[in-house]
Amino acid sequence: MLRIFCLLVLCLTLFPLQGFALEPSEKLLFEKNSLYQYISVIEDTVKKERYVRNQKREYTQGGIYLDAPDKLRFEFTQLGFVSLAFLDKDPKDVLFVGLGAGAMPKYFTARYPEAIVDIAEIDSDMVAVAQKYFYFKENEKMKVHVDDGRLFVKRTKKKYDWIILDAYQNDYIPFHLTTLEFLKEVKSRLKDNGIVVTNITSPFRNKFFDSMVMTYKKAFPHLYVFKGKKSANFIFVATASSIIKDKDSVEARARKIQSDRKFDIDLEDFASRYELSEVYEWKGAKVLTDDFAPVNLYQHQKSKAQ
Amino acid sequence: MIKFVVFICGAIVMSFEILGSRVLAPNFGSSVFVWGSLISVFLAGLSAGYYLGGRLADINPSSRKLSLIIIAPGLLLLTFPMYSTAISDWIFIKDLGVRMSPLLASSVLFLVPSVFLGIVSPYTAKLMICSLHTSGKTIGMLYALSTFGSIIGTLVTSFYLIAIAGTNALIMGQGILLIALAIPLYFMNLSCTIEK
Repeated sequence: MLRIFCLLVLCLTLFPLQGFALEPSEKLLFEKNSLYQYISVIEDTVKKERYVRNQKREYTQGGIYLDAPDKLRFEFTQLGFVSLAFLDKDPKDVLFVGLGAGAMPKYFTARYPEAIVDIAEIDSDMVAVAQKYFYFKENEKMKVHVDDGRLFVKRTKKKYDWIILDAYQNDYIPFHLTTLEFLKEVKSRLKDNGIVVTNITSPFRNKFFDSMVMTYKKAFPHLYVFKGKKSANFIFVATASSIIKDKDSVEARARKIQSDRKFDIDLEDFASRYELSEVYEWKGAKVLTDDFAPVNLYQHQKSKAQ
Repeated sequence: MIKFVVFICGAIVMSFEILGSRVLAPNFGSSVFVWGSLISVFLAGLSAGYYLGGRLADINPSSRKLSLIIIAPGLLLLTFPMYSTAISDWIFIKDLGVRMSPLLASSVLFLVPSVFLGIVSPYTAKLMICSLHTSGKTIGMLYALSTFGSIIGTLVTSFYLIAIAGTNALIMGQGILLIALAIPLYFMNLSCTIEK
């Protein structure tokens, strides 16, 4: 009887620990339940890395190498920059929807100091975390607007060359940032040759992925997909212009940007992963709209394509 | 029949509330302020409805009148897509801030239907109470049915319906369901004396 009791106590004490357990090499620097999410900042003292995470350890929102905080730690953030090769000119006006640890805007402004950058981030605690733990700094050219991404896009009068949608947490995607209506609002904020880039995580091919392809395809004339090698990320690049960019021109442009702006990631290699969205289009997938967008259910359902 | 009506009305209140979050998101996001507004407006509507329903129930209650009480939100829900976008867009443009905008939008869109759905509970209680001797049992059963309906409405909507049909179609469907319930009720003469 006593043994059973002890076992029970042991189970009860071990169980909750497991969910939040840190590796022996990790230490917790900060945690908070903000208005929108649980935020934790964790440092790996062996790997010398620092991350910002939500509940689950496998879903990391962003992070840095402590020895090289200006490098891009994650493949999807690196891969996102391939989209610059679709712009004929250097981007002047840039909008990030979602800040995370601030790695992408920081990396971008280091290479394009002349660009004007707006960042829409809903959670002011996330902004504070990016500043305090991830060396993110605002300046006169780079401003954070604490606002829902969709509301910011609807309200702003400005037009952008490059819009980066990175407001999807892996385990929770706000449906109103996935719909055709939203993408049309985004498109209306793009200059004539502007582009939008987003990161879609699809560990197994799920219905959400299929629907996103069809929804982007409906909102924009062309969609290009870049697949992650190390991760389950897909980078979607959609253009406002109806002129199609072929693989050669994208690769050539990537090569030029790479040397002109001194990228320390291999943009040309990323560009070589160029795929037209036709490869992924599946007519059976439903376009997501404000009226119909079961995003969180679709993430857990296997694709019916093929 | 009346038990079924109470169950369905309970289900529709919560199903409508879940769908309400989808209605508000494009203009107001899905922040805690939006949920707070939505929940408080529904509760305000229900509490006003309970109060009014109690008073109405003391003035010659009949199933015919109950039917009219149910038809009103039925019509509001059936025509919901015709006015909801215009109203939310207008409030979005007015921009009263992250708290007041969703609160106002929720009040305009959801308060009146939830008042009517709130009236149903005390009104049906009055119709079904046959003797003071068993009134506790009757009221308890109606409370339970209504809340059980709400649970089913919440789960079925958030787990399944949202993936099956569009928000507007679902809200119109709820309107049709309410009207379909109200019509037979109008021609019935349900009261305690008959049922006994």
